[in-house]
Amino acid sequence: MSGGTASHRLKRTVDGWVHSWNQIGVQTQFMGKTLRSIGDVFLNYRVELIRLIAQMGLGTGALAIVGGTVAIVGFLTLSTGALVAVQGYNQFSEIGVEALTGFASAFFNVRLIAPATTAIALSATIGAGATAQLGAMRINEEIDALEVIGIRSISYLASTRVIAGVIVVIPLYCVGVLMSFWAAKLGTTAIYGQSSGVYDHYFDTFLNPVDLIWSFVQSIAMAIVIMLVHTYYGFSASGGPAGVGEAVGRAVRTSLVISAFVVVVISLAVYGQSGNFNLAG
Amino acid sequence: MVASDAVAKNAAKPIRAVGGFFSMTLDTFVLMFKPPFAWREFILQSWFVARVAIVPTLMLTIPYTVLLTFTFNILLTEFGAADFSGTGAALGTVSQIGPIVTVLVIAGAGATAMCADLGARTIREELDALRVMGVNPIQTLVVPRVLAATLVSLALSATVVLVGLTGAYLFCVYVQHVSPGAFVSGLTLVTGPADVVIALVKAALFGLTAGLIACYKGISVGGGPAGVGNAVNETVVFTFMALFAINVVATAVGVKATM
Repeated sequence: MSGGTASHRLKRTVDGWVHSWNQIGVQTQFMGKTLRSIGDVFLNYRVELIRLIAQMGLGTGALAIVGGTVAIVGFLTLSTGALVAVQGYNQFSEIGVEALTGFASAFFNVRLIAPATTAIALSATIGAGATAQLGAMRINEEIDALEVIGIRSISYLASTRVIAGVIVVIPLYCVGVLMSFWAAKLGTTAIYGQSSGVYDHYFDTFLNPVDLIWSFVQSIAMAIVIMLVHTYYGFSASGGPAGVGEAVGRAVRTSLVISAFVVVVISLAVYGQSGNFNLAG
Repeated sequence: MVASDAVAKNAAKPIRAVGGFFSMTLDTFVLMFKPPFAWREFILQSWFVARVAIVPTLMLTIPYTVLLTFTFNILLTEFGAADFSGTGAALGTVSQIGPIVTVLVIAGAGATAMCADLGARTIREELDALRVMGVNPIQTLVVPRVLAATLVSLALSATVVLVGLTGAYLFCVYVQHVSPGAFVSGLTLVTGPADVVIALVKAALFGLTAGLIACYKGISVGGGPAGVGNAVNETVVFTFMALFAINVVATAVGVKATM
């Protein structure tokens, strides 16, 4: 009897592995197809693309009421920028160099905080929104209907969203970086009372334009990855209303992890050898 | 006439939602101390949240600590103080990475799964069925979930700190060739027990808030498949916003308290 259950259990475990292995293949195939159909979007589905860009910038439903994606990204980067002021100023003043808070803002905001926070905000707002929309379409069999009337569903729904995500992230990232700079400056000068001349001097000295460009590249790469993951989970939703909710949750989890890895890999690739940083100026 | 009614309705909607959230929160706190306590549901939910959260926790902690120690070490090497990388790792992991990763995991993984589960029950009218049978869904479903989120969040933040420090140690010692003794002795230079306590208090607050938001969005779902998806989406956004705001305030209070 025990032999029977053991072999049964073994079979189930192996089936699980095979299933998840196949899942990776299906996912890769979907992403490849999405990226390959990007040219198609510019030829055939330009109107849908523009509609999506407008929708992603403003957000839908309750999210539009709180001010849309822009407000959410701004708020999140504002709060992480304020952390630089709180933690940086207090930590530095312990060893008597609180003048260097401006340097911390220019260094950590650009390299770590703004890209990571923007990735989080993207996956929560436009990413999760895309999964919810596409999942609902899949459950209502609207995607099958699109295929039946001869519209290529992957290029019409997924590729358009990837392109729209990349286009939307550019202004969003500008808002994010500016907010994190302002929050750090305001916190240090207005709340902790440092003179703004001191702050600006160290901030301007250590703000490296090349770093800013790299962090832009980072955020665009993350936008592509996040939109690919989220459209995949939306497309493959199943199991009724509950399934859509679960797909959104799983997509958020996956894209948070993947975007963290993207940030690390790009940072190590860019700053790994030299550090691209000179304290002496 | 009709148009002005619609405008008034739309304008009142967010206020109504905030009011609903606070009334549910109040109910939850009152019912938390009223027997019988739903032990079984509490244990099941703790296990559920821990199960969905543990893999994302590990996968998020390792890259973020590597990134932090790497960036910090560039700075320290420039000062000629690479031996103090342990200090930077401890400071960053305990006071920032720990809470932030806990926020991401508890909001991105725990709250979404919880909201999807409760939302599906609401759509299937299971909550109405409970009310008909005279069972209060807040007491049997919401209270155990909120407490489970708080407990798991506490446990997770401890895990994040441990995993983060181990990861930072391996990265500094084997990749960046810092001497292991210097790394370990630097750990407690600026980070003390008070910082650890603050990190744990923050984590408990995050779990509590995330659990409340997820449950409120879950039990107020409406409108079919798109409704549940949107509710989960809104849960992620609102918990991120609430938890980031709490983090700034709690950090400012904590810094003042440890000075």
